[in-house]
Formats: sequence, C-alpha cells, structure tokens
Amino acid sequence: MIRRLCVAFVLTLVLCWPSFVSSESASQSGGELHFCLHGEPKTFNPLLVEDGQSEIVRYLTGGVLIRLNRQTQALEPALATSWKTTPDGRTIIFHLRTGLHFSDGTPFTSEDVAYTVKALMDPQLHSPTGDSFRSGDGQVSVQTPSADTITVTFPAPVAGLERLFDQVAILSAHSPKKEMAVLGPFYVADYSPGSHVLLRRNSNYWKKDKEGKPLPYLDSIRLDIQRNHDIEILRFRRGEIHIINSLDADLFDRLQKESPAAAHDAGPSLDSEFVWFNQVPTAAFPDYKKVWFRSTEFRKAISLAINRDDLARIVYAGHAQPAYGPISPANRFWFNSALPVPKYDSAAALRLLAQAGFRFDGGILRDSSGNHVEFTLITSTGNKPREQMVTMIQQDLSQIGIKVNMVTLDFPSLIERITRTFDYEACLLGFTNTDLDPSSQMNVWLSSAENHQWNPKQSQPATPWEAEIDRLMQSQASSTSDKKRKTDWDRVQQIVFEQQPFIYLINRDAMSAISPAVIGSAPSVLDPHAFWNADVLRLGPDPSMGAQK
Amino acid sequence: MIKDEKITKLPWNALRRLLFLLCLGIGGAFLSATLVRFAPGYGVQERELDPRWSAQSIEALRQKQMLQEGLASYYMHYLSALAHGDLGESDSLKRPVRELLRQRLPATGKSVVRGLGIAWLAAALLASPGLASRGWFYEASSTAFSSLLLSLPSAVVAMLAVQLRAPVFFAIGVVVFPRLHRYIRSLLVRSYNQPHVLAARARGLRSGAIFCRHVLPIAAPPLLALLGVSFTIAFGAAIPIEALCDSPGLGQLAWQAALNRDLPLIVNVTLIVSLVMFAANSLADLTSRAFAGSVQ
Repeated sequence: MIRRLCVAFVLTLVLCWPSFVSSESASQSGGELHFCLHGEPKTFNPLLVEDGQSEIVRYLTGGVLIRLNRQTQALEPALATSWKTTPDGRTIIFHLRTGLHFSDGTPFTSEDVAYTVKALMDPQLHSPTGDSFRSGDGQVSVQTPSADTITVTFPAPVAGLERLFDQVAILSAHSPKKEMAVLGPFYVADYSPGSHVLLRRNSNYWKKDKEGKPLPYLDSIRLDIQRNHDIEILRFRRGEIHIINSLDADLFDRLQKESPAAAHDAGPSLDSEFVWFNQVPTAAFPDYKKVWFRSTEFRKAISLAINRDDLARIVYAGHAQPAYGPISPANRFWFNSALPVPKYDSAAALRLLAQAGFRFDGGILRDSSGNHVEFTLITSTGNKPREQMVTMIQQDLSQIGIKVNMVTLDFPSLIERITRTFDYEACLLGFTNTDLDPSSQMNVWLSSAENHQWNPKQSQPATPWEAEIDRLMQSQASSTSDKKRKTDWDRVQQIVFEQQPFIYLINRDAMSAISPAVIGSAPSVLDPHAFWNADVLRLGPDPSMGAQK
Repeated sequence: MIKDEKITKLPWNALRRLLFLLCLGIGGAFLSATLVRFAPGYGVQERELDPRWSAQSIEALRQKQMLQEGLASYYMHYLSALAHGDLGESDSLKRPVRELLRQRLPATGKSVVRGLGIAWLAAALLASPGLASRGWFYEASSTAFSSLLLSLPSAVVAMLAVQLRAPVFFAIGVVVFPRLHRYIRSLLVRSYNQPHVLAARARGLRSGAIFCRHVLPIAAPPLLALLGVSFTIAFGAAIPIEALCDSPGLGQLAWQAALNRDLPLIVNVTLIVSLVMFAANSLADLTSRAFAGSVQ
C-alpha cells in the first residue's frame, strides 16, 4: 500500500509540474508586449499621478494635447492640432482635433479639456502635475468658445507652458467610466493588484501611421508588477518579457555580452548623481565643520579632488559621463556648453584648501584651528553604484588628507535626515529628471524652497549668490522668451559651477533592454526610454520573445 | 454529571479562548506598529523630494501624516474604526486596507494550503516506508535529505523557486517538509514499537492493516497538533518567499508595508497574520485533545 502511495505521489508531481511551470511561462500571443512595473501603480487617475508606475500607465493610456517627442525633443501636436501662447505668457489657446472619441465611445470636445484643467488646478487636489502650472495666486480661467477651441488663462506667466501639457492626460467630462475612459493608445483592461496591469488597444485612438493604418499596432501590453530587478533580468533572458526600460550598468554589461542586439545605450540621460554638504545653521554637528561646508574653496577643492572619469569608468563601466552642472548635456537646449570642464587635480585642490586656511601635514588635512578634516557621507542603502561611488570618493579624498566615513541608510531614514532632522554632514544622492525644462527645478534652486537641499526654507537668502539665483529664477519664470530664459539659466549654471552647492558627479546613460522581437523601437535618453513610441511598436513574426533570438 | 458540567462550560471556554486570541492579535499588531512608528524614517515619504510639488502640497502631505503621530490616539481611533469594520487606508498604496487584504489573503491562503499539502504528503510518504525493517541506508539517506533541506534558508529556497520557475506553494512545501519529516518519522517509529503493534505483527497481520488500525490511531493526536504548528511555519515562510518571488500575496504586502512604514497596513497585516496563526494552533490543539479523548 505504501509503495502504491509512493508511486501515486511521484506521478502526481510529474503530472503537476508542467502546470506549476505554465503559470510563469504561458505562451504569448504575437500582439502582446510584456514588460515590468517596479511597484504597484498608486492611482489610475492621471491628475493624481506622483509615482513612476502610475506615470508609465498614464503615458501609455493618456491622451494629451501636446506631446514631447522623446527623440527630437520637440513638441508635436497630439489632441490639439495647433496652439498659441499670448505674449504675456498667461494665456494659451488650443485648437482641437474633431470627431475623436474616448476609449468608451464618449465624444471628445473642448468641454473635456476645460473639465480636466479645472480639476487639475483645484488647490485641494495636491497634484504634482497641477503644481507645475502654479505660478501665482489666483484662479485659472477656462473658456470654450467652440467645441474645438479652448482658451486657458493663468493668473501669472507660466514658464515653458506648452511643454507642461505633455503631462496632462485629458479626462472625459461625461463618461460614466470617469478616468478609465482615455484618449491614449491603450486603456486599462484589467488590474490584478500585486500581479499585473493589462492594457488593451484603444480602437478609438486618433493616430494613424503613414499608410493610414490605425495605431497602435500592438493588441495589448501586459505590465507585470516585479520589484526585484534580478528576477526582471532573469525573465528577460528567458524571453518572458520584451523590455527593461532602465538598466544598471553591471546588468547592462552582462546582457550586452550575452545578447548585444538586446542591449541599448542611448547616451547620457537627464539623471544626475551628486554630493552636497549640509549648510543648515541649526544642524547638529560641530560649528567648525559648518565653517568648512560653507566655504566655497572647500567645496570647490572637494569637487576638484574627485576623479569623475574613474567614477564613470569603474562604477558605471563607462556608461556614464562626468557631470559638472545641474543640466545634463542630454538636454540640448538648456545645457550651458560654455562652462569649462575641470579636470581631476588633487594638487589644485590642496592649493585651494591652503588659500582657505587648511594645512596638509603628514598626510592629514587640518583646518586653521587644527581640527582633522573628516566628515560622514550618507547615501541610500542597496544602491550599489552609490555605495561604490562613496568608496571611490573616500579613496580620492584620502589623497588630500580628508577622511570620509560612509553611512548607508534606507530611503525613508535618509529622507528624514535630509528634510527633517538635518542630522547628517554630507549626502550623495541622485535626481531623476523627467522634464527638459529646468523650471521644474524651481523648488530646488529657490532659497526658500523645501528641496533647496543644502539649506532649505531660508527666510532670506543666506549668501549673495543664492540671492542672485533667486532673482534669476523669478526672472526666467515670468518670461515668455526662451532666449531670455536660456540666458538666465546659463547664468544659474555658471553660479552653481562656481559655488558648488551640489558637487555634480556623473550623468548616467539611459540604458535599456529591448528584445529583438520588438520592431520599431528607438531608445531615447528621455523617459520612458524604451517604449516612448509604444503606439508604433510591433512584435515580430516569431512568437517566442527570447532576448537571445 | 461531570460530562454535563463540561458541556455547559464549553461555550464559555470557547468565548474565553476567542477573546484571548483577539487580545493577543491586537497586542501583537500594536507592538509591531509601535516598532514601525519609532523606526527611523517614519512619516516621511519619497515624494517629498519631488521638486514639482508646491510648498502647500508638501505641507498638506505632512499634515496628513501628523494625524498618525500620536500613537495612543491612533490606537484609540483604530480600535473604534475596527469596531465598525473599518480598517483604514494604506498610506503607501492609497487604497482601503480591507480591499488590499481581501485581494491578497486568498493568494497566500492558497499557497499555504497547497504548500502544506505537498509537505505533508511528501513527509508522510518518506517517513512511512520501511517502518518495520528500518534499514540503516534508508534512515541515513532520508535523514540526510531532510537535514539538507532544513539547512536551506527560506530566502534561498525562494530564489531557487524563481530560477526553476516553481510556484510559491512549492517553495513553501520545501521549507515545511523537513520540519515535518523528522517529527513524523520518529512519531511513527515510536507508535510502531508499541507492544500491541508487535503482537499484531506476530499474528501475521498485513503491514497496511497494522498501519491503519494500530499505528495511526496512536500517532493521530500529536500529528494533529503538528498540523497547527506546520500551518504556522508555512504562514511564516510565505512572507519572505512571497516577497522575494514577487507573488501577489500577503507576504509581499507585509514587506512593502514595512519598507514604506505604512502604519495602517502594518497594524492590520500583523493582526490578520497573528489571528490566523493563533487560530490554527488553537484549532489543532482542540482537535488533537478531542481525538485523544475519543481514542482513550
């Protein structure tokens, strides 16, 4: 009897194994693109989007009036056929496409745009998309002279107004499905929390290809919720997913060796990594350290003593570029190319420190009071490139007698320290920039802003150069001339270069993995790198999606 | 007379046990929530670093978080809401906790039950053969096999499951199996050595009949108790396995809640996990007592 039971058990296992496996490797239809979200989308309401996952869903489902072409970096007509901004920069007039319908069949008119703009600008909504449009106190006025024309007037000029509409997905004023009725290429057909989001082709999508064939080509997109990047790459190798939108340098290199056709490096992205010193007057560390951190010479010396080329070469395996300012060279219009490119020079760093009263004696750097120069650099735990960069900075600064201690913290603890308790000396972090127009960084550069990390929420600018940045920021924000704004931003970049409140380290490359089975991909440095043109992507005739194929 | 007394006390005992369970569950939930509340980084959110937010929006965000600053008042508010069936809203996922639990609990439940099924079946089958003869090779190899599995941490088993494309319940089964196997084996061997079993063997009864009629009834009460313990082990193993395998269950939810310092979610997930575990243990305990009584 026991023998029979054993045989039954083995048979059960053998028979059940394919069903265990099949849940993971179900065969894919040719028209369904697969890739991963790195977390749960927090909302499907496009106006409330604040996290990267919801942003991806919004990008793939939302219809916008103006679309930023991620490759040419130019604005293109989408739901609006044309638009015009008045000379005072407060009013924008859109002429809309006619005869369009939302995914549920509800007609699209200027009323929908008016409804969306009013909802977006509701101060109680607390939406980052809405906040980007806030330039002054007062109400936004919306007029709809006809079904295909809408005029939006803001209380004050809004810098880069047209470009901001790339983020505004239009809602239906009348659809019973509310935000689930969309004008983009896909709509949310199914959402299984913790598992996946299924987007299906929107047959009412307005766009057609050159031959007049309706877009998108894909039948559906399945977004699997997958937090673990190692599993994501494993699944890509197995051919279970088609795209990895953003890759780390080491994963990219591994993939490039295995399958060169699948690994794509689009060049330096808008994202940057940088170090800053805590200059908050009430910070809980000795006063003599505050004097160092407020010294421009000290910060410039640190900047000179960090070998950025090595960071890019070793930490990012060459998939990054040394960074010297707040705007990446990938941002073609706003980058100040006139700024000099300093070289790693520890001797020059020591000369600068000597000018500021520091002494380099017996391999140890001391300040004018004899204190050994030593500080703690915090960064986020689990981020391997950042941890490696801190280690390399430790080595570089030890050459000029500075001891750097590394502390890694989980992200909430780190944010608490840099925004609430200010219990840190220096921090290495990165910013992910999704916006080309630098005015989205107003909350970083204004001295009164929350995200003015080195010394936030100042009642009065602490230094003359911060006062000048404040003035330039206000000036560019109220100007409608791109030329004038560019001049202001060039000056801001120059001040930041001279003062080094943030010591920029590198701009990492936009690396992605795209299966050769995907046709029509054109990786871009702007996010979403790999699927910005999802409406023209297709899957090849080979139904198996292996990255190796 | 004594029997009547026992029957009249039964509802009261059950109620007392239920209250005890509830208090333990709430106590455990509050304890874990207190730890989270005082963990560094509580009440701060990554989105505060998003430069698009206006100062007013960040202030509104912080004000909302301030509502949960006082633990005592939070607990009072939580208990009164709980009495009305309201479990609150998750801070990080922006969804009602009740909805999240309703979506995730069945997935974990299924994985745990299937994993237990596999583990019990495998442990019972591997523990049963050769009870009469007990050859040294079989003893040594089965012990070595279960010891090897016992030495594998749940996280390693989870990663192996990902590599082998095995489902979560199989990984749970692998974690639970070695813990069951050794205990079941020694229990069955002990039962097999009982004098009346020896007598039955001497009378020439078939091994299947001996096993079903004489060994199993003796081993059943401790096996039932073991069922409760194994459920607890399986449920405990499901948390890291689901988190690592990114399976949409309670484990993944608990992991995310802890990382995001999501107080409402932590309290409720801990409450549910403790209640399920205590309930399983109590049920197994009661059943095993009842079974032992009937056998006597």
